[in-house]
Amino acid sequence: MSTESDSHPADVLVDVERAPSTRADAPEIDLDIFREDNVGNPHPMWATMRELGSVVYLSASDTWVITRYDEARATLADWRTFSSASERVYGEEMAALLGETALTTDPPLHDKLRGVLSEKTAPRALKQLTEQVMAHADELVAEAVEAGSIEAMEKLCQRMPVDTVADLIGLPEEGREILLPGGERMLLTFSPHSDRLVPGMPSVEEFANYIVTMTNREVLRPDGWGTAILDAVDDGRIRQQDAVPLMSSYLIAGMGTTVHTLGFYLNNLAQNPAAWAALKADPTLINSGFEESVRVDGPAQMLYRAATRDVEVGEHVIPEGRRIIVSIGSANRDPRHYSNPDTFDIHRNPVDHLGLGYATHGCVGQGLARLEVKAVISALLRRVATLEPNGPVEHSSHVPGFAGITRLPISLTSV
Amino acid sequence: MSHIELDRERCEGHGTCEQIAPNIYQLDDEGLVSILVDQPLPDELVGAAEAGARVCPLAALRVVDGS
Repeated sequence: MSTESDSHPADVLVDVERAPSTRADAPEIDLDIFREDNVGNPHPMWATMRELGSVVYLSASDTWVITRYDEARATLADWRTFSSASERVYGEEMAALLGETALTTDPPLHDKLRGVLSEKTAPRALKQLTEQVMAHADELVAEAVEAGSIEAMEKLCQRMPVDTVADLIGLPEEGREILLPGGERMLLTFSPHSDRLVPGMPSVEEFANYIVTMTNREVLRPDGWGTAILDAVDDGRIRQQDAVPLMSSYLIAGMGTTVHTLGFYLNNLAQNPAAWAALKADPTLINSGFEESVRVDGPAQMLYRAATRDVEVGEHVIPEGRRIIVSIGSANRDPRHYSNPDTFDIHRNPVDHLGLGYATHGCVGQGLARLEVKAVISALLRRVATLEPNGPVEHSSHVPGFAGITRLPISLTSV
Repeated sequence: MSHIELDRERCEGHGTCEQIAPNIYQLDDEGLVSILVDQPLPDELVGAAEAGARVCPLAALRVVDGS
């Protein structure tokens, strides 16, 4: 990775010739980034850390946090230096629980596992699904407009991804109610603070058992994505033990993230009448609005890595083997990269945001997420005249590292 | 002299490159990126090529300087 051109972001990273002491030379802060108030509203905390340094050492959890855009992007682009392998990032015990997925492995295994998923989720594979996703979104929105005042998380944002992804995987109708709460529970396992996991462990196990039960030709629809995983095992493209973790990738990463991406986009439109008006006047802004909403309010606020060598990031040394959090939530609001970073600007079109990750581990389901979210927003544009807040919005504060909305009351008037 | 390096294995066809630099990148019939211009890049296209490469969500594109 030392042959990058001048314009490549990896230049922010410098090889450290001699091993430094393991002393943390980055500015240190004693802050619990997993505490509920910080999870519920992470942006003040990110702003404080970002101004302190491009890399900040969290003494409470012995972790280095990368806070600024350039450094975060460079880190995500360099998988050799910044490993995603779960045993490095989370320790052996958690690694056993998480299994080997595209999210928790490095190339070359990563590429094989990702390939099975992306074969289905890449935009070219999604083309044939567009019509059915649009039609389903239109039904949901028609019901919502009929009702007039809705709690949009329950009536729209949760239904769209759960229905869509469950159908695509080919899951039986029965038992789907476990998908959202189970997936959310599993996200807790990505927190390095395993003591917080203890009360939730029974439901983590319940969902893990559901996934194992579903990884079976007898229960899956033969033409679904789940069966395609089992086919890949039979073809010898992946190993037997890869099937269940790949199913869990669809089930954990493919639902809650889209639910909240949609929730935040709706909320940003409801809170910004000028943006809604601009979108009504020019529906092609729907793409820009999607990227901008993910930039200011991405569900995934942080990504985990581990340093495979002593490495200098910004002006600070992160020692080999230590855990790193790349705060994409912070990077996406870095004023060094985006002007007025806290403002939702529907015209901005920030296609270089890091809200869906970047490079090797860039979100494999981003095409599907865009399809689902835009299907709902375009149905709203067709059917709705006004979209307004209708009560206090409540934010999720119980899943460390993830932002989300738990209650989103809005009122809609028909065109 | 600059040229575009494409890691075809990484391209999943999100089309961000085409959105930013449609005169240089285009998704082909299979939904994967193709490069519309001759290489090495004429100087006047380097800026646009870099802008399109920069926004690839999977870092499949890179404009490299030199031989």
